[in-house]
Formats: sequence, C-alpha cells, structure tokens
Amino acid sequence: MSTDNPKNRSTKSSANGAGACLRTDTFTCLRCGLTVATLAPDGSRRNHCPSCLHSQHCLDHVEGGPSDCGARMTPISIAVLRTGGWMVIHRCTRCDELTSNPVCGDDNQLILMRMAVRPLAQPPFPLEAFGDL
Amino acid sequence: MPRRRPRRSTHRPQRRKDVLHGPGGAHGDAFRCVGCRLDVPLTAPGTAHRNHCPHCLTSLHVDQRIPGDRASGCRGRMTALSLSVRQDGEWLIIHECLTCGELSANRIAGDDNALALLRMAVRPLSDTFIPVRALLTL
Repeated sequence: MSTDNPKNRSTKSSANGAGACLRTDTFTCLRCGLTVATLAPDGSRRNHCPSCLHSQHCLDHVEGGPSDCGARMTPISIAVLRTGGWMVIHRCTRCDELTSNPVCGDDNQLILMRMAVRPLAQPPFPLEAFGDL
Repeated sequence: MPRRRPRRSTHRPQRRKDVLHGPGGAHGDAFRCVGCRLDVPLTAPGTAHRNHCPHCLTSLHVDQRIPGDRASGCRGRMTALSLSVRQDGEWLIIHECLTCGELSANRIAGDDNALALLRMAVRPLSDTFIPVRALLTL
C-alpha cells in the first residue's frame, strides 16, 4: 500500500484516533463523491461520509491489520449502546465483512432515521398482539 | 403478514450445513444456550442455519467467515446488538462477540422471541434526541 498520496493515506491508515491524521486531511466518498474532512467537528476521526453514510473497507477485523479489499461499505443498521450512543453497522459490498462505527453529530439524520424505522415497516410477525401487553 | 418477494433469477440456495454441535465434537441435534441454558433443537422453522437461542437470542462465536466452518478459536458469547433488514424484507440479527468484538449477521428463525426482537427494533426510537431533530429538519 503506497503512502505517497495523502488522500489515500488518510482513508487507509490503520491507526485510529485524531492524533494519527492531519487536521486538513480529506477523503472522497466512494458513493456520492463528497470531499469529507477526516476530522469530525467534535475532534474524533471520521470514517464514513456524513451525507450518504457509506464507508470504505480499510481495516480487516477478523485477522486484524489493514485490509486489501478497499470496496464500498453500505450502512445496514443502527445499534444503540447501553450508554445511549448510536453505532452504524456497515457491510462491505464485496466481501460481506461487518464493522460498527459511532455516528457523528453531523451525520445525515434522515438516513439514520430511515434505517432505524426500517424493521418496523415490514415486520415478520403481526404487531397487533403487542398492543395487549 | 406477506413479505415483498422480488423476482430474482439468481437466488442462491442456502448452503448445506454439516456442523458438529454435540459435546466433544459429535453430531448432535441440539445445543445448549450459553446465555439462558436452554436446550435448543437444531431444526428451526424458516432457516437451516440456526445459530442463536430463540429465547434470549444469544449466540456463540465459533464460525469465522463462512457459516458452519468452526474456524474461530474465540468461543466467546455473542449478544444481539441490532436488527437489520434485507432488500426482500427478511430481518437479520447482528451479533457482537463480547470477547473479541467481532460482528456477524444471521437471519431470524420462525420461533425467535418476538418480544426480544421488537425490543431491539424500537430501541433507537426510545431515545428522543435524534428522532426529534430528524423530524424538525423535514
């Protein structure tokens, strides 16, 4: 993996945390083409596009270390932690790997809500029975 | 309730599963849940890949990439983290390993606990902060 291109380095570096990237680092979203600053407004490191919430498969979570997949990752669901924070679950479109990332303050709220209410739109069992509980 | 079934010609059938579930690597027909100690039979309505307890939705981290390969050395407990929906309306449970943090997805079975599933589905909506902000942007 070459490190001569600063745009590549910002998306593919394996270190987490704000100290590992420059304040002016950017990456280009693979889906919508938006140029996104790597550093979020709250100081944390961003790894998905705030507009379409898509990400890139850079880290291998099964074996660890950088991944050579590099494909686009689509957001598939919202997880709520016990602390109340929200996580976005991403799935790689090429190798089906799953990752979870915390949401940023400026992420697209409509896409977040659409994923949150998506299970209730098509329930596999009738929900009328829960009215009696 | 009927689901939307898109007409797909390239539908992949489920992989045949040949997994040692019994104690000591025997071919068992049941497994015991690590969360609630329920004896769970392997035959499940609606799926051939039952990997979680229908009562408490807890799973065990034994597979790595492919369902049934038994290649993981972790053996940690996996709790249900969230729900996802496929394009055709099938629900998937996202499990998270409590030992190593690995995530996995599995289709729900026909006898899974509906109350536990629905609690996970409405958990993002119980927090009022983001829903209210999202509706205000409309």
